[in-house]
Amino acid sequence: MANTLRLYLTCIRNTLEAAMCLQNFPCQEVERHNKPEVELKTSPELLLNPVLICRNEAEKCLIETSINSLRISLKVKQADELENILTKKFLRFLSMRAEAFQVLRRKPVQGYDISFLITNYHYEDMQKHKLIDFIVQFMEDIDKEISELKMSVNTRGRLVATEFLKQFI
Amino acid sequence: MAATGGFVETDNAEAIITRIEHKSRKIESLLKQSKPVEALKTALEGSPPMTRDERCKSANWIVVHRAIMAIKDVDGLLSSLDPEYYDILMKYLYRGLSTGDRPTCDQCLRIHEKLTEKAGLGCILRSLADTVNAV
Repeated sequence: MANTLRLYLTCIRNTLEAAMCLQNFPCQEVERHNKPEVELKTSPELLLNPVLICRNEAEKCLIETSINSLRISLKVKQADELENILTKKFLRFLSMRAEAFQVLRRKPVQGYDISFLITNYHYEDMQKHKLIDFIVQFMEDIDKEISELKMSVNTRGRLVATEFLKQFI
Repeated sequence: MAATGGFVETDNAEAIITRIEHKSRKIESLLKQSKPVEALKTALEGSPPMTRDERCKSANWIVVHRAIMAIKDVDGLLSSLDPEYYDILMKYLYRGLSTGDRPTCDQCLRIHEKLTEKAGLGCILRSLADTVNAV
């Protein structure tokens, strides 16, 4: 179980190291504009093949690259309804504060839980291996966070229920 | 260039599919003799280049998938496989990873790690950048 997680993260790390080859590329259609090509997808010659890496039926990672930007979309494992709600709320909380994260996208891509958009400007300011470490660390921590949240919700619910029902004893 | 590409498609699609069927029979027999490495080599050899036909690609994918799932010893496989097949194998590994089927993904992740160590990041980048010979 832990082994597949390690293999999954290694695969994603290797793919990101290979795919993260970004350079500045001004927009071809409109002069003086500079847009992330992976979002617009107007010119096929600027895009690389998108790659979908699935760990199992529930978890997957879509990596789309272009000449000046890279988009990573993650789908996190959600075992039951409670985890579903917790994941959605937690990731929405993070996405709304995307300014602070810089590489986070405000809305996840359709069909995924969270998306990152890395442009050539991020690539110039920050180190490549640190960016990749951040993404992989994020994926590891997300699972832990969700389980912690779930446990705290269950504990709180149990405490509240015990207190409330004590008055009926 | 486009004309010859069209020529290959319409006339040879059936020929390619028959070739793939021959290949799959050969691979079945190799797998029965417990030679998974040879089976994978045979599967990767005749990979149809430059076909736009989805059926040929899917047919070839099924054959390669069968061979990949039969591999038990990954290190042995990579030491005996010729370097020219690394790129094609990487493309098929990514196709396997996109299926989402648990045993396929486990096997593909295992082979992917070892293949990256052996072939390097260039292999991954070539499979990403090759939009013409997509598998």
